[in-house]
Amino acid sequence: MRSSAGGIAATAVALFLGILVVTQFRSQDVYSRSLQLETPASLTTLIANLSDRNNSLRDEIFDLRLRVATARDSVASGQGSLTESQREIDQLKIFAAVSPARGQGIAVKIDGAFDDRAMSDLTNELRNAGAEAISVNDVRVGPRSWYAAGPERTILLDGRQLNGPWTVRAIGVSDVMHVAITRIGGIEGQFELIYPRTHFNVTKESSLALPAVATQR
Amino acid sequence: MTAIAAAPDPRRQRLQHAFALLIPAALFGFLVTAQWQGQQERSSIAVRYNAPLTDAAFALQKEQNDLKAQLQDLRAQLDQIQSNAATQSGAASELEKRLAELKAQAGLSPLTGDGVMVQLDDSHTVAAGAANLDQAICHSTDLTDILNTAWRGGAQAIAINAQRVVSSTSVYCVGSTIMVNGTLLSPPFNIAIIGPQNSVLGAFDDPSQLKDIKARRDVQGLGFRVTRANAINVPAYDGALTVRIAVPQ
Repeated sequence: MRSSAGGIAATAVALFLGILVVTQFRSQDVYSRSLQLETPASLTTLIANLSDRNNSLRDEIFDLRLRVATARDSVASGQGSLTESQREIDQLKIFAAVSPARGQGIAVKIDGAFDDRAMSDLTNELRNAGAEAISVNDVRVGPRSWYAAGPERTILLDGRQLNGPWTVRAIGVSDVMHVAITRIGGIEGQFELIYPRTHFNVTKESSLALPAVATQR
Repeated sequence: MTAIAAAPDPRRQRLQHAFALLIPAALFGFLVTAQWQGQQERSSIAVRYNAPLTDAAFALQKEQNDLKAQLQDLRAQLDQIQSNAATQSGAASELEKRLAELKAQAGLSPLTGDGVMVQLDDSHTVAAGAANLDQAICHSTDLTDILNTAWRGGAQAIAINAQRVVSSTSVYCVGSTIMVNGTLLSPPFNIAIIGPQNSVLGAFDDPSQLKDIKARRDVQGLGFRVTRANAINVPAYDGALTVRIAVPQ
């Protein structure tokens, strides 16, 4: 009788052990990606980024409401919506990079060793900082642009060979983009560690003029 | 002699049972404690900082989805007005055509076509504290490398987890969280690529391309799969155009 009771107790304990081992393994050992596991600093950065994006969306919604109302009024008064359409075309020509663009921004001069993947990362960082138009050595970066390694440490942009030193120009809010690139721990600092002999110089520019994208497939 | 040896000693038997239970009971206690302490460590930090911050991030993401829906609705209304106006005059019709072309070039129109699907995912076997964890999970640079390869292969349109890739698209990484077009995304990343299949597949198969991702797939179990696919749907870009500073020359 006693032996049977002991066996049941041992089995129950073993069962609990099994469950706990599995729970412990699943909760602590297997890597899982979750927002809840981010540090407060990362979450604060994410929140700032989401807020910025939402503010841009709100601005565009406000602007678009006005444009819809203006277009309705114009059509109702028999003037058509030509002005509104032309305005949208101008905006899309910049967005699709099919027209030359001008405006304030920043210039990043890179003198020394650099490569296509780093150039792709810099382009990505500038876009994240709000760049509206980007060029490298006066070749416009388009929506479908790609980089590759060229001969003799050159960089190919959409198949066009670009020799160093390179100048990357980006139109956008110059203060915002300058801080985004040069902040402590930012991409310029990272590049300086990876390419210690390369000279990077980031400047704010009051007026930049970028060409249209060279080819559209 | 035999009778004496076979007779069970009740005291000894109880002692044996007690010892048999001692080890599992000790382990049980240890694991309960470890589990409880683990929960405590996570929650003491999470409750104070992470929980409200995570809630705020989710709330902002939900707000973003709502704002994007409003934006899409307003764009559709403007399209409708312009489309109606186009039927009334030749000049308006020409502008309407030009608008449609530019929207397609900019990624503001949905597109369906044959192409390639790429899936990138974290390894499902890697342990949280593993030394090679960094090699076994997806990074934002992996996604930018994949986009670069796809464009090089002649892609016409790309979306990552239904986020259309356009001229303003950035792939942003904070901690282990990845954002595309300012939207929070989680792995697996399904990259829909419309374009000439042989050329795009050729770019991905090129041994000189994505060397790092392919090596991590083979060694660390990173999920990376490229497949031919037909009738892929790539949605229109639903974010802000953000053309505020640049003006056409």
